[in-house]
Amino acid sequence: MAVTDSDKASAHVKPKERFDFFHDERVRSVFYQLLTACTVGWLAWYLITNTAHNLEIRGMNTGFGFLTATAGFDTDFKLIEYEPGIGTYGRIFLIGCLNTLLVSSFAIVASTFLGFFVGVLRLSNNWLVARLALAFVEIIRNTPLLLQIIFWYVGVFALLPRVKNSVDLSGGAEVLFINNRGLYMAWPVPGDLFWMTTTAFVATVVGVFLLRRWAHKRQDETGQQFPIFSASVALLILVPGAVYLVTGSPLEWDLPTLQGFNFRGGFSLPPAFLALLVSLTIYHAAHLAESVRAGILSVNKGQTEAALAIGLKPGRAMALIIIPQAMRAIVPPLISLWMNCVKNSSLAIAIGYSDIVALFMQTALNQAGYAVEMVGMTMAFYMFISLSISGLLNIYNKRVQLVER
Amino acid sequence: MAAVVKSERTAARSAPLSETTVLGWLRKNLFSSWINALLTIVSIYIIYAAVKGFYVWGVADAVWVAKDRRECFDISIDGACWAGVIQWMNNFIYGRYPRGELWRVNLGALMLVLWMAPLWVPRVKDKILIGMSTVFLYPFLAGYFFAGGEKGIFMQVMVTLGIVFLVGNTLNVIIGVSSGRGLREVMIQKLGKQDASDESQRNTILAIFVGALVVVFVLQMWWTFEAVSWTKWGGMFLTLVISGIGIAAALPLGIFLALGRRSKLPVIRVLCTAFIEIFRSVPLITVLFMATTMFPLFMPEGVPLNKLTQVIIAVCLFSGCYMAETVRAGLQAIPNGQYEAAHTIGLGYWGTMGLIVMPQALKHMIPNIVGSFIGLLKDTTLVSIIGLFDVLGMLRSVSQDIPWRGLHKEPLLFGAMLFFIVCFAMSKYSRHLEVKLSAGDNR
Repeated sequence: MAVTDSDKASAHVKPKERFDFFHDERVRSVFYQLLTACTVGWLAWYLITNTAHNLEIRGMNTGFGFLTATAGFDTDFKLIEYEPGIGTYGRIFLIGCLNTLLVSSFAIVASTFLGFFVGVLRLSNNWLVARLALAFVEIIRNTPLLLQIIFWYVGVFALLPRVKNSVDLSGGAEVLFINNRGLYMAWPVPGDLFWMTTTAFVATVVGVFLLRRWAHKRQDETGQQFPIFSASVALLILVPGAVYLVTGSPLEWDLPTLQGFNFRGGFSLPPAFLALLVSLTIYHAAHLAESVRAGILSVNKGQTEAALAIGLKPGRAMALIIIPQAMRAIVPPLISLWMNCVKNSSLAIAIGYSDIVALFMQTALNQAGYAVEMVGMTMAFYMFISLSISGLLNIYNKRVQLVER
Repeated sequence: MAAVVKSERTAARSAPLSETTVLGWLRKNLFSSWINALLTIVSIYIIYAAVKGFYVWGVADAVWVAKDRRECFDISIDGACWAGVIQWMNNFIYGRYPRGELWRVNLGALMLVLWMAPLWVPRVKDKILIGMSTVFLYPFLAGYFFAGGEKGIFMQVMVTLGIVFLVGNTLNVIIGVSSGRGLREVMIQKLGKQDASDESQRNTILAIFVGALVVVFVLQMWWTFEAVSWTKWGGMFLTLVISGIGIAAALPLGIFLALGRRSKLPVIRVLCTAFIEIFRSVPLITVLFMATTMFPLFMPEGVPLNKLTQVIIAVCLFSGCYMAETVRAGLQAIPNGQYEAAHTIGLGYWGTMGLIVMPQALKHMIPNIVGSFIGLLKDTTLVSIIGLFDVLGMLRSVSQDIPWRGLHKEPLLFGAMLFFIVCFAMSKYSRHLEVKLSAGDNR
C-alpha cells in the first residue's frame, strides 16, 4: 500500500530541472538576440555618427525645411500647376509621385490585358499562333528592360516625323496627333451642367448593380435567366447619353492646333512617356503571359470535362468554371507583377521622363543636396506603394482561401 | 439458332489522316476551323513581314564594312550600318581596358572556365570544395588579374591560395576524368604511402599543400601587373564582373537572411524581415542612387570608396535580399519530418541546417538560382544610368562617337541579341536542370 502510494506520488512529481546557465535554451536565445541587437545598434550608431560628421564637414544642410523652399528648375511634364521660381520642392516631389503613378497605372492596365491575351494565345490549339506567342514571350523576357526602353525611345519615338509633318491618328478629324515631340490629343472641358451627366452615370452604375442582384436572385428562385450584360451596357450608354443631350451637350473639346513651331491646346504626352508606357506594357505582358498560361494549365482537366458534361458551352465553361479557378493561381504573380511595374517605371530616368527618381532623386538632389532626406523620401514612396499593393494581395488571398476546402 | 460470327478477320483500318501525313497535321493544327485558318494566315503574314523587313534592312541592304556613318549612308541609305558595331566590338566586350592588357581579362575568363568546368564533369570528386573555392578564392585571383598594381600582403596570400587551388583543381579534373580517382589518392599512391596510417597520409598531403603554397608565394612576389584603374573597366566584362560578384555574394547573404527570417528568435526575425522587405520594395535604381550619394557619407573620414565598389555593394545587398526569398521558398519545400529526424539523431540547429536541410533545399533551388542570375545580369545594365560604362553604356556611347554619330538602333539590336543568346541559353539550361533534379522525386 505504502509502496504504491509513493510510486503514484513520484509519477506526479516532475524531475527537478537542472538549470545549466550556459546550455539553457532560453538563456541562449536571449543572449543571441541581445548580441544581434547590439551589433545592429552599434552599426547604425556608427553609420549615423559618420554621416552626421561628414555632413558637418561638407557644410551640407539637413532637415526637411527644403520642402517649402522654392525650386528653380522646370519640368517638361507635370499634371499639376508648377512654375519654376514659385513652386516648392514639396510640389516637385508631388509631381514626381504623380508622374510615376500615371505611367505605371497605365502600363499596369495595358499589360494586364495584353498579358492575358498573349497567355491565352500561348495555349491556342493553332500551332503557329502558339509558337508566335512563345517567340514574343521569350524574346521580351530574355532582353533587359532598360535596353528595350532605350530602343523604343531612340529607335521608334525619336524617329517620328517632325511637328510640321505630324501624323493625324484620328484620320482627318484633327483630334489626335503624333510627332517626335509627343502625342497631342483633344481634351474635354466640362461645361456648367456637366455635373448632371456625371450624376446620371453614377446613378446608372448603382442601378446596374442592383439589377444584377435582382437578376441573380430571380435566377436562383425560378431558373429564368435575364440578359444582364446587354441590359447593363444599354443602360450605361443610354441614360447618361440622354441626360447629356437633354442638358444641351455641356462639354467642350479643347483641340490641339498647330501654332508656330508647336501644338497648343489639348493634352499632350511626351515621347519619353510613350516609350516608357509601350516598353513597360510589353515587358510585363510577356511575364504575365507565362503566369496566365501556368494558371490555366493548373486547373484540372476534369473540370473542363465536367463543365461540358453538364451542358455548358465551351465559352461559358471557360468563363464560369476554368477562369475563376485559374485566377487563384494567377492573381499572386499578377499582383507582384504590378509591384514590379511600379518599380520598373523608375527606369524612366534613362530617357528623361520626369518620374520621381529622375525629378526628385536626381535633379532636385543635385540642385539642393539634401541627400539623406531625398533618398529616404523616394524610397518611402516606393515602400508605401509596394506595401499597399501587397496588402491588396493579402486580402485577396484570404478571400480565396475561404473558398478553398 | 446459329451464332452470328464473322468468319474472317476485320482488316485493320489505316491510321487517322492527321497522325500520318503532313497535310493531315496541317489540317489538325493550323486549319481546324475557319477562325483557326484566319489566325494562321494572319500569323504567317506577321512572320513574313517581320522576317522580310529584318532581312532587307539588316542583311540584304546592310553595310558591313565602312569607316564612318557617312560612308554607310553613301553605300546604302536605308540598310543597317553594322560596320559601326563591328568596329566597336572590342569596346562592347572590354570597355576602355588598355588594349595591350586584354589578355589578362581573357585569362581571367579562361580561369573561371577551368575552375567551374569540373562541376559538370560527372566523374570528378570534391565538387563542394570546387564550388566553395569559386566563390571565395576565384574573385580575388581574378580581381588581381583585372586590377593589377601593387599587392598588399592580404592580396598576396589570396593570389597564392588561388593559384594553388587552380592548379590542384585542374590536376584533380585531369586525373578524375582519366582514372576516376581523386588527386589525393593518386599523390598518396605515387609516394608509396597507401599503406600508411590515416594521420601520416593527411600529414603528407598537408606538407605538399604547404610546400606548394610557399613555392607559389615566393614566385608570385616576382611579378606584378600594371595597374588598370576601374574607370577603364567596361563593356560585357564589367557587366559580368558586377553580376558575378553580385550572385556570388548573394548566395551566402541570402542563406543567412532566409535563416534569420525563419528564426524562432523574434529580434533576429524582425531585423531580417525588415531588411529583406525594405530592399525588395524599392527599385534597384534607387538603391544604386543611395549607394552613390549616401555611402560616401557613411564612411569614416579619409576612407574613400570608389564608385565601382559602391555599386557592387549595392548590387550585393539587393540581390542578397531577392536570393533570401528564393532560399526561403526552398526551405519551405523541405518537409517537417526532416527537421524532426535531424533533431532525433541529436543534431543541433547548425547541424540540422548545414547537413540535412540546406543540401536538400539548395538542390531544389539551383534552377531558381540560375533564374536569379539571369535577372541580375539583365538588371546590371542599370549601372549605365549612374555613369559606369557597362555593356549598355558602351552600346549607347557609339552614337556619341564622332564617326558614328547618331548610330542608335544597330548597337542596341546587337546588345539585345547578345543578351538574348546568353539569357535564353541559361534559362533553357535551368529548365533542363529542373527536370533533371526533380526526376528523382517523381518516381
